Amino acid sequence: MNKDILKALTKRILSSVVTLLLLISFLFILVRLSPGDPTQKFLSPDFSPELKQQVMADFKLDQSLTEQYLNFLANIFQGDFGVSYDYRMPVLSVVWQFLSFTLVFASISFVIQIILSYYFALKSIKKSGRVLGKLLSKTSLVVYATPSFVLGVFLIFIFSAKLDMFPSAGLKSLDFDSFSFFGKLWDYIIHLTLPIVTLSLAGIAMFYKYLRDNLEEVYRQDFILNLRASGFSESTILKKHVLPNAVRPLISVAGIELGILLGGTLITEVIFGLPGMGRLMMASIFSRDYPLVVGCAFAAGLLMIFTNFIADLVKMKMDKRMIKGLMN
Amino acid sequence: MTRKIVTILACFLILFLSSCGSENTSKSNRVVIGIPADINTFNPLFAFTVDEGAITELLYLSLADFRWNEKQGELEAFPMLAKSWEWAKDSSSITFHLRDDVKWSDGIPLTVNDVVFSLDVYSDPVVDSRLYGIFEDLYMDKKNHIDVKKTFDVKSDYELQINFLPNSSPDLIDIVHPVIPKHIFEKYDRKDLATAKDNFSPVTNGAFVLKKWDRNQSITLAINKNSFLYNPDNINELVFRVIPDYTSRLTQLKKGEIDLMETIKTGDIYDLKSNKNIVIRSIQGREYEYVGWNNIDPETYNEKRELSPNKFFGNKKTRIALTYAINRREILEDYLYNYGELAATPISPIFKNDIDQDIKQYNYNPDMARKILEDEGWTDSNNNGIIDKNGTEFEFTLTIPSGNPLRPYEATIIKNNLKAIGIEVNVETMELGAMLDDIDSKKRDAWILAQYVPIPIDLKSYWYSDLQNTQLNFVSYQNKKADKIMEELTVHLPKDRQKELYYQFQEIIHKDQPVTFLYWMADIVGINKRVKNINITPLGAITHCWEWAVK
Repeated sequence: MNKDILKALTKRILSSVVTLLLLISFLFILVRLSPGDPTQKFLSPDFSPELKQQVMADFKLDQSLTEQYLNFLANIFQGDFGVSYDYRMPVLSVVWQFLSFTLVFASISFVIQIILSYYFALKSIKKSGRVLGKLLSKTSLVVYATPSFVLGVFLIFIFSAKLDMFPSAGLKSLDFDSFSFFGKLWDYIIHLTLPIVTLSLAGIAMFYKYLRDNLEEVYRQDFILNLRASGFSESTILKKHVLPNAVRPLISVAGIELGILLGGTLITEVIFGLPGMGRLMMASIFSRDYPLVVGCAFAAGLLMIFTNFIADLVKMKMDKRMIKGLMN
Repeated sequence: MTRKIVTILACFLILFLSSCGSENTSKSNRVVIGIPADINTFNPLFAFTVDEGAITELLYLSLADFRWNEKQGELEAFPMLAKSWEWAKDSSSITFHLRDDVKWSDGIPLTVNDVVFSLDVYSDPVVDSRLYGIFEDLYMDKKNHIDVKKTFDVKSDYELQINFLPNSSPDLIDIVHPVIPKHIFEKYDRKDLATAKDNFSPVTNGAFVLKKWDRNQSITLAINKNSFLYNPDNINELVFRVIPDYTSRLTQLKKGEIDLMETIKTGDIYDLKSNKNIVIRSIQGREYEYVGWNNIDPETYNEKRELSPNKFFGNKKTRIALTYAINRREILEDYLYNYGELAATPISPIFKNDIDQDIKQYNYNPDMARKILEDEGWTDSNNNGIIDKNGTEFEFTLTIPSGNPLRPYEATIIKNNLKAIGIEVNVETMELGAMLDDIDSKKRDAWILAQYVPIPIDLKSYWYSDLQNTQLNFVSYQNKKADKIMEELTVHLPKDRQKELYYQFQEIIHKDQPVTFLYWMADIVGINKRVKNINITPLGAITHCWEWAVK
């Protein structure tokens, strides 16, 4: 069995590497073929026309696409993604600056999404047919259908502009450094409350719908009736039989959702002025910062593959029959 | 159990409500400015964006500085690192006498060696500085690198003579740029200057020093108490807060979390005016909106690299007719709430001495437009509502960049205005970068864009006939008479002659109408009333901030 796992694991890693390579190669070519170039910002009376030519040569953009691609391949196999044209720093350092925030921010949101959706789905099932159950179902639809830019602006308007309870943007206060440890922690909490609510609500509604439907379906199965007839308590039925069956389909969705969150949460980041991957990627595309676009795509792709892999491992842990299928 | 949880939560809530709330800037003698994007360097060599330029100029001083003379409508130089300077009688050189009390923030005195080093590095082709290629009046090598030996004559640590090429036409503004520390940057290979660590923790000589940089969050500058510009009555801290979303920036301005924000949309002015803490100011005459008519045929140019007149816009009378047909005042009044003024030529009204006030606008007159077009042979021969000439219907695509709601509004008005005289306009929205690429390669027929104008006036970069070297002549305008004027204007002239030439140029461009000049747009600035001494001029809002005070 161990040998099988090792073989499957190697195969999975190799296929992931190929996927990533294809992704960044595709992007490398696509950004260069699309209109515009990084020297467009030098189209100004403030700069001489010679500067544009000089920068083109220094960025090696005057080489053929094949030459550029071969150099790029040679460099990435040494872990060198180049230097960002805008940030004038190695691409991976820039990506890490933004990714570190996104990792924490997205993970907190993800955990909240899972916990609250689980809680509400159970509540809704228990109160099925009653007012609370119906209310939760209707509300989840409304929340899921509300775009995050509307929700974010609405929350800022109510809780920041009108009630003055939370700051409207930013990650921390200007006087952050003068705060105590708990003061700093509190400062982060009040700054991140509205962004996390904005980011999480749609996810909670989505997971809630999935989980509730799955729970309902499992509860309708004959074996549950059988278990009840055999005298098992509701709590045992839920924990041992209903949940494992209901949660399994959700894990794949959760893996994808986490991957998307880690790839950047553009709208929330822009509205609340947070330094995340979404903003970085958008800015790099608009300024035609080719190495940074590829670096961002690489990080997002890597995280997507990783979270899916983790989701598969969790599924495998729950059902050992799935090892081969999942690994392949 | 539930009660306990509720009690704990209630305690937290009380604690929370008592401790949070708005973060306002009135705590200290600090001014906070909201900016949409972070900067990427503190090194003036690479300060390519407007905000990078504004911030680095607070950290690094130049030999001289400039103020805007409102009455004369021109720049006025005043001493900064140099306490005085004198020109040779034949303008072949200039001698600067530097202050001897200026020290870098690490305590090392600033001398002329720093000035020489700075200009040397600015012009070095391996550096790719923002000033590369602009030192036309100095002695240069083949790669446009300043010849240090011929150009600089170091008289002492505080006296420097700069020599110019014979028969050149040097100007002070061309040679005074932020001075960088030689002792810091000389240790780097010049190729690596762009990525130098000292670009991010800079040693500076300005009115401010960098206190803290929270990347993508805020930049905090503290007043430099050792600077000769220091005044204890003025602000002691200046913060640039990065807030990418316009609405969030506006909310923070209203709440007092930031004190100043630029590029306020006209639709928000009414609301801001009702806020007793905010005052609205505007920067006039630095940017005009225009409809670009490609004067040449895109297909012939791109297929054969030949210039032939555009079938619609190659004729100046047709272009004048189009200007007559567009109701510019309607857009100015209804969308911009008159924050701006109609434009007639590319010479901004801020240049009071040089603008020809007698030039008459082609005011909205569809009948006149119809008549001109008819005289030019454009008639609706097949009664389909679209005018035609030699079998070609007058139908074209107007390209606008995405992202600014003003542009679709303008495009709709223009489309309707032109439809009324029998011209069919198809509006196409493109991402700005992609659109610029197309316009630069002359692929588009017509477009709407804004043009930022430099100070002092620069016409040659936009309107000169040499299309290979005039990168901003997007419409491919060509006029030999205008070329001669622009050539003459590149050298120093008596003010009267200069004015005469500018008047002649305006007359030519008005008659040729290479583009439809729509209006000069104002940059609207919202400022918290507690901030005093802000001098809003065409040079911008964020200049000479060390003179600001908080009352």
